[in-house]
Amino acid sequence: MKYEAPLEKYPVNIREAVLGKGEKAIKIGGENTFPFHFFEGSLPDPPGLALEVLDIQPENWSHWVLEPFQDVVSDPVSWAKKCVDVFGAEILCLRLLSTDPMGKDASPKQAAVIAKKVADAIDVPLIVWGTGTEEKDSRVLTEVARLCSGKNLLLGPALKGNYEEIAQIALEHGHAIVAQASMDVNLTKELNIALCKFFPPEKIVLDTTSSALGYGLEYTFSIIENVKQIGLINRDNMMQMPILADFGGECWRSKEAKESKEQGILWEAITGITFLLAGANLLILRHPDTLKLIKEMISEKK
Amino acid sequence: MILIGEDLNVMSKKISQAIKERNPEPIRKFVVGQTQNGMDYLDLNVGPLTKEPVETMQWLVKTVQGFTDLPLCLDTTNPVAMEAGLKTCKKKALINSASGTSESKEKMLPLAPKYSAGIVLSVINDAGLPSDADERAASILESLEFANELGVPNEDIWIDPVLLPVGVDQRQVSAYLEFIQMIPDLAPGAKSVCGLSNLSYGAPKELKVLLNRTFLVMIARYGQHSAIVSGFDEELIHINKGEIPEIVNLIHRAMNEDDMDISSLPQKEVEYVKTTQVLMGKTLYSHSWLEV
Repeated sequence: MKYEAPLEKYPVNIREAVLGKGEKAIKIGGENTFPFHFFEGSLPDPPGLALEVLDIQPENWSHWVLEPFQDVVSDPVSWAKKCVDVFGAEILCLRLLSTDPMGKDASPKQAAVIAKKVADAIDVPLIVWGTGTEEKDSRVLTEVARLCSGKNLLLGPALKGNYEEIAQIALEHGHAIVAQASMDVNLTKELNIALCKFFPPEKIVLDTTSSALGYGLEYTFSIIENVKQIGLINRDNMMQMPILADFGGECWRSKEAKESKEQGILWEAITGITFLLAGANLLILRHPDTLKLIKEMISEKK
Repeated sequence: MILIGEDLNVMSKKISQAIKERNPEPIRKFVVGQTQNGMDYLDLNVGPLTKEPVETMQWLVKTVQGFTDLPLCLDTTNPVAMEAGLKTCKKKALINSASGTSESKEKMLPLAPKYSAGIVLSVINDAGLPSDADERAASILESLEFANELGVPNEDIWIDPVLLPVGVDQRQVSAYLEFIQMIPDLAPGAKSVCGLSNLSYGAPKELKVLLNRTFLVMIARYGQHSAIVSGFDEELIHINKGEIPEIVNLIHRAMNEDDMDISSLPQKEVEYVKTTQVLMGKTLYSHSWLEV
């Protein structure tokens, strides 16, 4: 008798979120099984891989990670274009570090103008990221949402203290949002329940916050894995949104990454692939070689 | 289930002040109220009692015994205060609590045979709180053997599996439920006890009682012997006396069935079903668990 390995079937799907507009729009999520379980179910959308762009010149970036962007770091628009045209990025993440109240404290309007210029200069989906300061972010992202109306940006992070403002304005202007609750499945669910009272769940991407290899990656892994399990096995529809992982900054701050380019890229790539194995659907990366390496690794898997 | 009233607690400002001023009046209210509400024991939670442990404990025990005939559960981490309390108790007292840590074995456990008292024995040991049911079993077996050798019979041991807040770690609640079903085999004759209110620590204030009441029914079904509870939660006390069988039956059904049709149930029953599903680990806990 021929042995047939038993397969698990999950009667639900992770929601599919659409980022961006037009031909280059990207879908993430949509799977009805665990990461890379192609033998078991369907994973229609490959993981989204985004490259970071800052709206101000990076400070304290190590030589290895600054090198590829040396000629464009003073201009976010050129930086963004280089990521797409030269490094083949299919998603970008613009960080509005200029708005940090502890730093330059740029006005929401100024930041939104930059976001608009970047969004207009590229045709790939754009994530726009604040500084994690609840009050300031809600004003900054409100301005960004208005100025970039209809572009279906992914705005974040929406936190416990500002999700109402950010989700409301995203809804009015046709954007998706990142709901962030740090390292806690219960609080993640809590925020999702609150959001879904007025915001469409298919426009939410979850961020449980991520730690790099050597900085608590194991814990992050378990949280992401747990969110996916609760969504698929327990069929909890408040836990079926795609998940993002954002860890480039922490990887490149590690001693190992500062020592050599090769170590840095491996550090970031191993962290990234680990989160994909945990169930992340979208990675925000810093080094273009990491992007290339992860792309190769996951295409071989298929 | 045997209920131990938890309301005499130094965490309450009124109580701590009354003890400090040696004023029996505020204490009388809590003692008489809990006694009238049908508690079986009263817990006297005095914390570590670093100042005047002997004198304070003896005063409190005498004061409480002046207002009630109920047996007392002495709740302090200070063995000196514990011993002073045990000397003063008229009825067989309960020591709350000992554990499998070296310090507890050395200082707290020997008090039980010395005063023929019952003793709460938690699954905590020098390695901390065991993470699942099997580790709890291993820990308690070791502590039980030690206690038996000291001359404490299983009948005097009240095993505390340690109940953690559902909002902190839901898996620990499942481990609890699994473990209490193992107790009759692990320790024939031993009793079990828990601090029920700890389950709802951190939950929205108005929903705490719902978690506590539901869990009381669940653990009673699995053979739990006793629980430390609020002596003023009337619905909880009614449920425990078997006066609301429809709620008990409903919770049992929700424990058995995976996909229960709740569409035709009244709101209050829907809440009990949803809460049971959370406490069984079928639904992920969030503070708004009733809203989804």
